[in-house]
Amino acid sequence: MSNPYSVLGISESATDEEVKNAYRELAKKYHPDNYENSELADFASEKMKEINLAYDTIIEERRNKRKNSDGVYASTGYSSEYPDVRRLINNNRVADAEQILDGIPRDKRSAEWYFLKSMVFYKKGFLEDAFSYIETACQMDSENKEYQSAYNHIKNARNGEYGGYNVKKNGSMPMCSCCDLCNILVCSDCCCECFGGDLIGCC
Amino acid sequence: MFGYLQTQKSELLIKDYEAYKSVYCGLCKQLGKSYGVLSRLTLSYDCTFLALLYISINDDDICVKKGHCVVNPLKKCMFCTENKALKFAAAVSAILTYYKIKDNISDSKFLKALFFKFLSLFFRRAYKKAKKDYPVIEEITAQYIQEQFNVEHDKNVSIDIAANPTANFISKLIMSIPNTNNIPNLLLEKFGYFIGRWVYLIDAADDYDKDLLSGNFNPFVDYFKNKENTRNDVSKYCNSVLNFTIYQINLAYNLIDFKQFKRILDNIINYGLPDMQRKCLFYKPFNKKKK
Repeated sequence: MSNPYSVLGISESATDEEVKNAYRELAKKYHPDNYENSELADFASEKMKEINLAYDTIIEERRNKRKNSDGVYASTGYSSEYPDVRRLINNNRVADAEQILDGIPRDKRSAEWYFLKSMVFYKKGFLEDAFSYIETACQMDSENKEYQSAYNHIKNARNGEYGGYNVKKNGSMPMCSCCDLCNILVCSDCCCECFGGDLIGCC
Repeated sequence: MFGYLQTQKSELLIKDYEAYKSVYCGLCKQLGKSYGVLSRLTLSYDCTFLALLYISINDDDICVKKGHCVVNPLKKCMFCTENKALKFAAAVSAILTYYKIKDNISDSKFLKALFFKFLSLFFRRAYKKAKKDYPVIEEITAQYIQEQFNVEHDKNVSIDIAANPTANFISKLIMSIPNTNNIPNLLLEKFGYFIGRWVYLIDAADDYDKDLLSGNFNPFVDYFKNKENTRNDVSKYCNSVLNFTIYQINLAYNLIDFKQFKRILDNIINYGLPDMQRKCLFYKPFNKKKK
């Protein structure tokens, strides 16, 4: 069979959304309804089968890949100090998780403690506390990928990568400072003098 | 409410702008009808947003009529005729205004307080009527005002805790809208929570300079106390906090299947809010920034 991606006319790096859209477009084009009573109906249904097969293959393939990677994630796992707290957080039992975390004495609080506390705050909607705790977790254990990726994600959100106002992208409004004004005046004066006129009399 | 939930007109289709305007004008008319001419003054973009949400969540049919504007009788405008959404938003407006005036009485000095006292006499009647029609809103609002008061008189209040009462208030308000569209409650709860949080925080960020001088409670002033910083650092920090909140709004919003006014709501969330951040934090031409 030919490459399922080329059947759909997309590259292998296409996102799930793009795969779906491409499939939809083609399905519309070759739908049996379009070819009703046409001599070409058999060709169209053949083509349709090919498209369906390609789509199913891609989706199946991606699903398996995701499952495997999740499996790896869980098994090499971060051997957790607080597996029960993690379970509670995953089940959205935030108050219980927080209670257990708060019961741990101050001097025993590890990087993971700060990470989990950050997750608790995040789920409660206390975004700034979540940010400061994940920051601490990353400082305490700068090697950990789990903390690092959560930290980067939050930092991007705060910078306006996922909506909001992005200072860098939009640039700040050009402000006309005193210096700019002087520059303009001096330049205009030079220009005028070139052409025999004068803007600023004294120079 | 303070008027921060606006559309960005330049990105709106004309037909959507007209639809938005008709809800806005409809709300103004509704305020006049339900609570007297004076309460028309309490008309705000936030309550218009609430009315839009109500219509979208409740999937109401709306009727539009042509009529004269009160403010400018020569102009004819389109407005929504009376419906549940407008009544709800008008009640919220009346109740909130009354509480806000009462808050102002306790906050200001003698002469000003007298003035607000005078005002509150006018709005008391409106408040009582709204309370009778919508006891739930009154209850939610009273609880919110109490919580907000407690928070502001606590010591060492973080930004999250300071924003919590307003966030919960808007969340509860939106959840109290009859949900005939079967939108999952959790989505509405989160959406409302972060909208409320955003409104509270943009208001605090906007009032930063004022509160710095007057010494009124402001979570951002508290945060930057005893820290070396320029005014630009403050703006950037506030912007990050707000961006993070918008991100959370979007997470919920994108999963909600709003049927009506989808494009207008999209506009408010994707353009209106970020632009408000730009206006409040980075572009205040008449406010000389202090270094």
